[in-house]
Amino acid sequence: MAQIAAERYTGASIKRSEDPRILTGGGRYVDDIKLPGMLHAAFVRSPLPHARVAAVDVTAAQALPGVVAVLTGADLAAITIPGPDPLLAMMGGGGPMPEYSLLATDKVRFVGDPVAVVIADSRYLAEDGCDLVEVSYEDLPPVASAAVALDAGSTPLFANLGDNIVGPHKRNEFGDVAGTFAAADRVSEFRIDVHRHQNVPMEGRACVASHDAGSGVLTVYAATQSVHVTRLGVAMRLGIEPDKVRVLAGDIGGSFGLKIGASREELAVAAASRALGRPVKWVEDRGENLTASGQAREESFDVRAAVSDDGDLLGLDVKVVVDTGAYPVMGTMVPSIMEAMLPGPYKLGALGFESMAVATNKASYVAYRGPWASETFVRERVLDLLASDLGLDPVAIRLRNAAPRTDPPATMITGRPLVGVTTTESLERVAELVDFPAFRRRQADLRARGRYLGIGLATFIEAAPGPRSSDEPQGPMALESMRLRLENDGIVTLFTGQMPHGQSHQTTLAQIAADEFGVPFEQVRVVVGDSDVVPFGLTGGSRSATMTGGVALHGARQLKVKVLDFASHLMEASARDLEITDGKVLVRGDPASAITVEEVARQAATGQFAADVDTNLAVEATFDGGEGGWSGGTHCAIIEVDVETGLVNVERYVAVEDCGALINPAVVEGQIRGGVAQGIGAVLLERSAYDEDGNYQSATFMDYLLPTACDIPRIEIEHLETVPLDADVNFRGVGEGGMIVAPPTMVSAIEDALAPFGVRIYEQHLPPARILELIEAAGRG
Amino acid sequence: MPDITVSVNGAARTGSVEARKTLADFLREDLDLTGTHVGCEHGVCGACTVIVDGRPTRSCLMLAVQAAGSEVTTIEGLAPDGTLGALQQAMWDSHSFQCGFCTPGFVMQATAFLSAHPDADEQQIREALSGNICRCTGYQSIIDGVLLAAERGRQG
Amino acid sequence: MKLPYFEYEAPATVAEAVELLTKHQDEASVLAGGQSLIPLLALRLARPAMVIDINGLDELSGVSVTDGRVAIGAMTRDYAAEESDAVADAVPLLAAALPFIGHEAIRSRGTIGGSLAHADPAAELPAVALALDAEFVVRSQSGDRVIPAGEWFEGYLTTARSADEILVEVRFPAAARGTGVCFQEVARRHGDFAIVGLAASLTVAGSSITDARLAFAGVSDVPVRAADAEQLLVGQAPSADLFAAAATRATADLDPPADLHGSPDYRRKVAAALVRRGLQAAADNADERQ
Repeated sequence: MAQIAAERYTGASIKRSEDPRILTGGGRYVDDIKLPGMLHAAFVRSPLPHARVAAVDVTAAQALPGVVAVLTGADLAAITIPGPDPLLAMMGGGGPMPEYSLLATDKVRFVGDPVAVVIADSRYLAEDGCDLVEVSYEDLPPVASAAVALDAGSTPLFANLGDNIVGPHKRNEFGDVAGTFAAADRVSEFRIDVHRHQNVPMEGRACVASHDAGSGVLTVYAATQSVHVTRLGVAMRLGIEPDKVRVLAGDIGGSFGLKIGASREELAVAAASRALGRPVKWVEDRGENLTASGQAREESFDVRAAVSDDGDLLGLDVKVVVDTGAYPVMGTMVPSIMEAMLPGPYKLGALGFESMAVATNKASYVAYRGPWASETFVRERVLDLLASDLGLDPVAIRLRNAAPRTDPPATMITGRPLVGVTTTESLERVAELVDFPAFRRRQADLRARGRYLGIGLATFIEAAPGPRSSDEPQGPMALESMRLRLENDGIVTLFTGQMPHGQSHQTTLAQIAADEFGVPFEQVRVVVGDSDVVPFGLTGGSRSATMTGGVALHGARQLKVKVLDFASHLMEASARDLEITDGKVLVRGDPASAITVEEVARQAATGQFAADVDTNLAVEATFDGGEGGWSGGTHCAIIEVDVETGLVNVERYVAVEDCGALINPAVVEGQIRGGVAQGIGAVLLERSAYDEDGNYQSATFMDYLLPTACDIPRIEIEHLETVPLDADVNFRGVGEGGMIVAPPTMVSAIEDALAPFGVRIYEQHLPPARILELIEAAGRG
Repeated sequence: MPDITVSVNGAARTGSVEARKTLADFLREDLDLTGTHVGCEHGVCGACTVIVDGRPTRSCLMLAVQAAGSEVTTIEGLAPDGTLGALQQAMWDSHSFQCGFCTPGFVMQATAFLSAHPDADEQQIREALSGNICRCTGYQSIIDGVLLAAERGRQG
Repeated sequence: MKLPYFEYEAPATVAEAVELLTKHQDEASVLAGGQSLIPLLALRLARPAMVIDINGLDELSGVSVTDGRVAIGAMTRDYAAEESDAVADAVPLLAAALPFIGHEAIRSRGTIGGSLAHADPAAELPAVALALDAEFVVRSQSGDRVIPAGEWFEGYLTTARSADEILVEVRFPAAARGTGVCFQEVARRHGDFAIVGLAASLTVAGSSITDARLAFAGVSDVPVRAADAEQLLVGQAPSADLFAAAATRATADLDPPADLHGSPDYRRKVAAALVRRGLQAAADNADERQ
């Protein structure tokens, strides 16, 4: 086992190097970019959910002073190459992939579908131009829900598909499903629905595209989770060689899965810039972000559970329908991840899983923080419902079903080993932190006085990055690259394909490298956001702590070996006897021998060494994730429902989590709290609502409600750290977990509060009016 | 297009703007003060918060022409020489923010609030900040930053 | 979204403002605090040919007390009214409602007159004005006229103000001794518009209610006065049973709208709960003002 360097920074809540600029207004987001001659784009968007486009008349718009160009779907189709969504193309989604144009040509398929783009001297004028574009539509029957889409008689959104089924209807079985269900003491059936809601980063999608005719290079200033995926997407659709596309990203105002690849609008703007020979900026406004950028999570589950009378969850049979909206992106890929994850950290012996994705006249289903999260919601709901049916305690039923920690580790029936999962420990720790018996007494006392408190919990695991598995297909995400370089001035530069948008990578990666290499934190610089410079990478999937933390650790070690090898020529000592501590290279045990890292670097640049001395103080490191691993934990919420108004107050929220070693506890906790807030928001406030005619109803912040500081309580977090899975890299991701487990935690608590009314909950969105409906319905039924 | 002169961060700034241009857009585009961010343009998210004549104000809900003759302070005005103010330092120490997009709005709102209510408790601070939306943090770290600043302010 | 083009005038006197309104009538929108109008413009839901900015009309700001009435200039900012001792002392129901208006930054610019002229039925001040029988003073080139609150709110975002008139002042009666008030709302989040709001006021002399005011926000296209319920209360001794009866009476005839936040039935239920709670709180407060 290699010696782990003294951890001066790793494990400490080092203050972020991002913050001085963030706190003083010095952040540089896409909308802050101003280029000479830059124009502004605004999109004409369909007011109808489903219609043929009969005609687009742009004459009045073109004539408006200040409008430079108006491009229709046909105009853009002529200067671009048809293809699917870039992320879809990279990840290889299953099933038929409708190729759709950047802007609608013959049809519009959702309210907000872009039909034309107006390029003008200012965004104000561009919107004025949009007002003048006249589009003639011929209404088509809306496919406003999955139920309509499943009807063979529904008007197909895509002519080449014949119907609105866009994801293959697959059934897979793991274990002996039929036998398990036949032998079970009881089979329970549930229909569970998750509602449509969405990412809503505070900065919407945005880009500035600037084509330089002289060099042929198209530069895209992007808000993206990967400069390289965006580059490839732009190159593909515009028919440009990828090396002629440069993607630059500065500060990004959040994403949560939304900003991956290049959206249709961004591609349209890039094509427009090339056609016009001038930089073009597009910044989506909040209405566009809510209406058109994409939505997530709308799935319906028909669940059968095979159960023993003692509460063993023996098998699950699940049919899911995903409402992927009008232009399928993520929706067709999600079911296979759900299938893989459904057993969770439990001993489930049999799983049958069927999925179908349908297209509807809604904005596209996109990736949203833990895109497969509904599998946890379904599984945890089922356990609560079964516990209630069987008269079991919700903690007890989970402890009973949790896979024990064994060596070799238990394996999910779907194949993945549950190595290092600490579900039992987190359940027990939550029970210690939250005195359940005391709560039950308090709950009973308050119920007698007409107040309804509830307690709920849920447990989860997330692949962060997931266990090592030789069966896994090796895709671009399986290996993480980093270039590390000792600069002439002694700075250690890390070039990473990670694209932080709140994750604090510029701090956390510097912590690791500083420790491993031996320099002060301030002597490490993390470079991101330039596709000409950084290796391939993508921020997402809760993988960067392990993959990028790991490559930083190993890369810094490799760089140190190189630097010490070189320094041995300067210091007339064997490299074996040298170390780097606090920015100095010295002979171990001889402080007087120390020279600064800067001096070593300076010497290497002088070119005064023999040819066989390696003075290139840089390494290209890769890391395959080591032993990988799961993150997970148990969350618990205590809430109160005002049964006269349906308002819910979250009194206490506890999270016991295990992500292995923490690089920076404050960063970890921030990720957890932010995810939990989104989960609380999903349950109490957030819904991307369409009416039965396909009209979108949540297009402003007055209707799409985000939680505020009065809605999210203090979240108590406790960390478990598993026995290291890997000798060196024991950091695991936490990006998505909070958002995955908070919704079932909250729903569990609300159901518990309403238990005296006989309420059982099979859905995720519980605004006040719905809570009163549930109480009333339970009273009637 | 009328010419207007607005005092911004202590300096008289002049611009030529249509009446319909918001103060937020004027600050960002005409004065290149891009620290003030635009998050919704309908007055809900608070990202555009600046201080006008001592009062926290949503700059997306004011026309630039309305600011003529007023004293406007933006995020850039809090630490003009690069030294962080006490609130900013406390927020740095508290890991208050992640992506940073909501940050200037929060800093301005909290600055205005703390100067009027230096002894505010947590609940009062939460209510005072409930008109600013953050999608990354779950607010606890932001509240902690404000509480820390208030506590340090009391210690003198 | 960006605001659409409009002509812009910033009159220096009320007379100038009135002249502009007489000339442009419905083609012009009056810009007071802007916290309601500017979002409508930004969303391009409103496209007036002209915007008349009355923020320069200092004469329309201020709180004064005469003859048992509190006169509040239309351009008085919400925060100024919040800070006003006169309002706190004499119009406690208004003082109770003001902190519910949006957030602090909204109240920095928003005005008393602006909210009442805009007349969003889910807003706080219309319910308060209706409950207290406030008086609206509008000015045209023909002079001033006074419109009682019962006649002011005509429909959704529609008031009795003619297109050539400007609201200059709102007058509230000073609360009598022994008056207790409560303003509550059920909203999705702190600071949001009310799903249902209630302005409640009870004046208690001895053990009997001598005056009762109840007005709802959010239950119709205008604020709604629960006059029948008020009559039920007057002359009675405060009690939980009485308040429950008043709640039933107050909500019996309500026909609330359905929207994303609640069904008609939901709003009725919530309205009833608010009446029970609001009357109890008002009665408790009345003791303190004896």
